[in-house]
Amino acid sequence: MLEIRNLTKIYNDGTVALKNISFKVEDGEFLVIIGLSGSGKSTLLRCINRLIEPTEGEILWNGKDVAKADGRSLREVRRQIGMIFQHFNLVKRSSVMTNVLAGRLGYVKPSSSLLHHFPKSDRKKAFEALEMVGITDQAEKRADELSGGQQQRVGIARALMQDPLMILADEPVASLDPVLAHSILGYLEDINKNRNITIMCSLHYLDLVQQYSSRVIGLRDGNLVYEGSNAEIRKMTDGEFKEIYGEEAVRVNAGSLTGGDNA
Amino acid sequence: MRNTKIIKIPLIAAPFAAVLSAIVPGLGQLFSHRIKRGLLLFFSFISIIGLFLWRLTLLAHRELTYADKFVKSFSRQPMFVIFISAVLALLWLWIIYDAYHVAKGRKTKGIGIFTLVLLLFFSLGWQISEIDVYKMVKEFPDAWPPLSRILWPWEAAVTRDTSSVEAKAAILADDSVNPPPIPEYIEGKPYIKSTPTYGNMSTLDEKNEAVKGSVLHLEGSGFEPDTVTFIYWEDSIGNEFRPRQDGEYISLITDADGSFTFDLVMPYRLTPPSAVGQQIHHVHARQTSDVGPLKPSEPLLLTIELMLETIFMGMMATFFGIILAIPLSFLAARNLMSGSWITITIYYIIRTIFNITRSIEPMIWALIAVVWVGLGPFAGIIALTIHTIAALGKLYSEAIESIDPGPIEAIQATGANKLQTIMFAVVPQMIPPFVSFTIYRWDINVRMSTVIGMVGGGGIGFLLVQYIRLLDYKSAGIAVWFIAITVAILDYVSSKIREKFV
Repeated sequence: MLEIRNLTKIYNDGTVALKNISFKVEDGEFLVIIGLSGSGKSTLLRCINRLIEPTEGEILWNGKDVAKADGRSLREVRRQIGMIFQHFNLVKRSSVMTNVLAGRLGYVKPSSSLLHHFPKSDRKKAFEALEMVGITDQAEKRADELSGGQQQRVGIARALMQDPLMILADEPVASLDPVLAHSILGYLEDINKNRNITIMCSLHYLDLVQQYSSRVIGLRDGNLVYEGSNAEIRKMTDGEFKEIYGEEAVRVNAGSLTGGDNA
Repeated sequence: MRNTKIIKIPLIAAPFAAVLSAIVPGLGQLFSHRIKRGLLLFFSFISIIGLFLWRLTLLAHRELTYADKFVKSFSRQPMFVIFISAVLALLWLWIIYDAYHVAKGRKTKGIGIFTLVLLLFFSLGWQISEIDVYKMVKEFPDAWPPLSRILWPWEAAVTRDTSSVEAKAAILADDSVNPPPIPEYIEGKPYIKSTPTYGNMSTLDEKNEAVKGSVLHLEGSGFEPDTVTFIYWEDSIGNEFRPRQDGEYISLITDADGSFTFDLVMPYRLTPPSAVGQQIHHVHARQTSDVGPLKPSEPLLLTIELMLETIFMGMMATFFGIILAIPLSFLAARNLMSGSWITITIYYIIRTIFNITRSIEPMIWALIAVVWVGLGPFAGIIALTIHTIAALGKLYSEAIESIDPGPIEAIQATGANKLQTIMFAVVPQMIPPFVSFTIYRWDINVRMSTVIGMVGGGGIGFLLVQYIRLLDYKSAGIAVWFIAITVAILDYVSSKIREKFV
């Protein structure tokens, strides 16, 4: 279980990205974060595994405060939390296999991993992860030879290698076309339901949010402005939507995927 | 609001703007808020006038007033003076017209007026750089003898052993007491005798005019029949040279019996003061002929030797350059050094040193290195290394700056430690540009080391310059060919390797 208490992030240049945010994520949830670009979604996700240092507040991960963790204990928390990214963040010139195996770096002996040596069991595991996302035949290709959808599947396989309890997904489908978006979110839904891995995912398109989320939180200018169940988001009113996406936003719903970006 | 354009109204009336631009070109435009246009026209106009006056001064440096200079220059290069004066006047009128036009608030493009400015700069440039197409075409035949030898030098690449047949006779110079005896005749051996065996050398009188020496009657026998035979003179301290008679080197052809006769005027020779006592010179008759198989000539062997030296010079300079450039490049990468004011200061200092060092050509560094460690390849290596550090340092640091932070983030998120993150996310991104830049630099360094020898930095350039100065264009041609072949091969190989890594 993850509990965020009074989380604030102020960047060095004075930008306030998160203002005193508190919420809880229960195990097994598919929590979707919505909000305009710049509303603090990415900052929030990166504060949870400390890719970004929070300024104030507590991040309680199964009772331990991640905000205070350092060195070894921080790395232990990180390996329990997988992450996938909008731009996939694969090492482009390395093979797909190497990219997937990198998911084990938190577990293997550092000295041997530096020479790209991984135990046999890890290689088998990597193969299974690639099988799960259906790209075993691409294992020896360079990552940048793959299409966008395939690269994101490699990203998912890498996250799965960590045996994570939770996966953070930072706009995982924003660089993909609508069909691929459903395919990728389908994998995440499968992981969430069948492996009982908590998912925390930021999304832009309301119909995707309505289809996949079990719960939704909304951010606006670093403030938590919305919290609702899947049933509630399905009934979301224009007023509430404008509250999150701003006065100028136009409601987008089913069919919006071909219509452009957020709002 | 962003589409709103603020229209500035000209400060003065159009005719007045024209008058202002007539007095100071561009001033009228300035008053019409066309500041860039006004300044550009002003500075173009005065720099053209300045350049023109400079050329007039050079063309007529004895004349005192500009009017006289103008007249004199006109008589020397009428086309140039008329053309520049006319176009300059046209430009002046155009600027006045333009000021009027602009002050009226009309739209202007300025292509015409700036074409005129460019035309003036181009014509001045033509005259300043002394371009002479007529001379270039007319005197092309002068370039042909060296060019043809350089283009096809291969006759000089091979040689044969020579064997020589010779005989010599002793001559007493500037004395007649105790002349040496005529050589002993041995049956079947080449033989030469001189009558008499003494005489006076040619000398110079007080007016530095040649005074002919005594005539020696030479008789030779026992040589190869019908073969070219050269006469050599050996002075009293053993130095040998080919004497000339009537301006030509002496060469004879033996008759069918292998004999010859020749009347030799004793040549002019300064003997050193250390040579005291009886001055015994020798006269030689020599026939040389090629024998044995073809073998590589000395210029060819030297060229190959120095070409290898050159390639290794380039390699060593690249090697030292890499070793020193890698650590420095991290200090010159903005993304790594933007942390505090201390690091950013280091960044700026290193960047500045890189830029200054890089802007000084390796040839100039070589001149300094030659003073430092003396002539030879080591000086060349120092020069190339200095330049390589700066060039590679800049390229490497730019590669570090352009690294994608995404994978670093992703690897960190897996729980990897710092070293693992570097190995898995940073190194794979750095290898391709590093390898590519390094090979490219090696290529450049070998190319540079072919010429760095010209200033004494070792390598093949040293040899090339020597051959050119000796007017030995065939040997120079061999060196040129080897440089061209090596550079072409290297170019191909380096581009192939770089392709693999990009």
